[in-house]
Amino acid sequence: MSVFAKLNNHPVRRNTIQVGLFLISMLLVPVIFGPGYYLNMMIFIAVLALPALGLSLLSGLAGQLAISHGAFFAIGAYGSAILSTRAGVNPVLSTLLAQLLVIAIAAGIGAVVLRLRSHYLAIATLSFAIIVELVIEEWRGMTGGMQGMLGIPPIGLFGHEASSDIQFYYIYWPVTALMLLFALNLSSSRIGRALRAIREGEPVVSSLGIHAAEYKTGIYVVSSVFAGVGGALYAHFVGFVTPATGSIMFAIEIIMVLALGGFDRLWGALVGVALITLLNEYALGFADYKKIILGVTLIAVMLVFPRGLLPGLIDLVRNRRFARTA
Amino acid sequence: MMLAVSSLEKRFGGLVALKDVHFSVTPGQVKAVIGPNGAGKTTLFNLIAGTLKPTAGDIRLDGETIAGLPAPRIGMAGVARTFQQPQVFASLTILENAMLGGHRYHRGGFLACGLGLKHTKREEDKLRERAEQWLAFAGIADIAHRNASELPLGQQRYVEIARAMATGSKLILMDEPAAGLDDTETRELADMVRAISDTGTTVLLIDHHMDFVMSLADEVLVLNFGQRLAEGTPHEIQKSQLVIDAYLGIDDDA
Repeated sequence: MSVFAKLNNHPVRRNTIQVGLFLISMLLVPVIFGPGYYLNMMIFIAVLALPALGLSLLSGLAGQLAISHGAFFAIGAYGSAILSTRAGVNPVLSTLLAQLLVIAIAAGIGAVVLRLRSHYLAIATLSFAIIVELVIEEWRGMTGGMQGMLGIPPIGLFGHEASSDIQFYYIYWPVTALMLLFALNLSSSRIGRALRAIREGEPVVSSLGIHAAEYKTGIYVVSSVFAGVGGALYAHFVGFVTPATGSIMFAIEIIMVLALGGFDRLWGALVGVALITLLNEYALGFADYKKIILGVTLIAVMLVFPRGLLPGLIDLVRNRRFARTA
Repeated sequence: MMLAVSSLEKRFGGLVALKDVHFSVTPGQVKAVIGPNGAGKTTLFNLIAGTLKPTAGDIRLDGETIAGLPAPRIGMAGVARTFQQPQVFASLTILENAMLGGHRYHRGGFLACGLGLKHTKREEDKLRERAEQWLAFAGIADIAHRNASELPLGQQRYVEIARAMATGSKLILMDEPAAGLDDTETRELADMVRAISDTGTTVLLIDHHMDFVMSLADEVLVLNFGQRLAEGTPHEIQKSQLVIDAYLGIDDDA
């Protein structure tokens, strides 16, 4: 049995090796290139990768589309911000506590909506996202209304707070890598198998004695927690939150990220986030045309690689290889 | 009784699809349901499997009422099925398809699987073993790692069979398993159904191929316009004037 075949029978080991190598190379980046503005961008990639990974689990794996990842990003961000600024809770603890709220709300929505078939989830989560935006804008006493909240403490433990980009970089990338590992493990487990089967045909899954609604609710909760953790990390990095944090527009951008990177591979979420972040950054010079540049890029990618950039490139390389051996 | 159906009725608005249907299946039996198109055979299966809810009447599995329960509950109670159009999970491998059959017997929740805890690997190995055993039973162990979408129709049925057997169900519902098969394939399928029966699994099947049904079934139930027309051994059914008038004599494509 080859090494690869062995690893295929041991997906957890395979995923751990892949993510381990990825994390090591990410951690080596600042060592090689030194400090610089690019670190700031890379931190944003680590943060934004979380809602994208979450949506990839829900949409790519289980075939359900939700427009609530912006809302849960906001709940994570505001929840942790409020706990840490108003109640003085340690930012690491407040990040975790905020997820309890995310879990409770996502489980509630999931239990009601996910008994129905696919597109109801998109509509229901869109309504939910609108409600969250309204609550954040109107509950001024708690959320600061349109002004948002300032002075959110940076992430840190035992009195040591992250104070430079490089420190945030070395805290956030391991977190993102661990969550990526969790997502990959879930995807290659029996749960992932059941979810992929649900994507293809719920009635057949039910006939096998598997409660599809429970699995869909489960993955919706997990997926939302990814967004919630992303939001909390965001708040403790930039130090402020406003209603624009995790708006509906943001939720749609996350969907665009997956359209770019590819829905059917978790790594595609990272590729998509990196691409969107770079585009956002380098299209800044043409601020007026930024949205147009993003849109045109998206259309171009969709035309050339309808399944997204990462799966498209993988197919391309594979076909090349086959063409050579043939 | 393995399965006891009494006064079963299903209406779709004003349309009566099934009316006052009653029959039973004894453990280990191969029972066939025949009848012209539109007789309500697939509706009957959907009622037993929980895809549809009956308007009236009762369905009992080993004495327990299953009528109107949600499909997953009926699946867990021990009813598996194969579909008229084979419903394999096309993006999954054949092995994974079969593994989904045994899925519910194995543990490992979202947290345990995401964290990759040790016991999930053990459970996964047991689950794979069970699936491989039924792939071998269905004669498709050698193609276990191919994608289910690559298979011709005939082999997709065997994937469905392996998956259904891996559920460990006591009753398996087969909706027109021989549809679209040629004579050789139909004979092979008949052997498969006998093998299923030999494992002690009770089989309830719908089919149009008369040779197939008559050579295979211990008992036959005939439906016509949603009602029970006759029930008996293949020999009795072939001689029944009622059945000949309604079905066998007229529908020459049967």
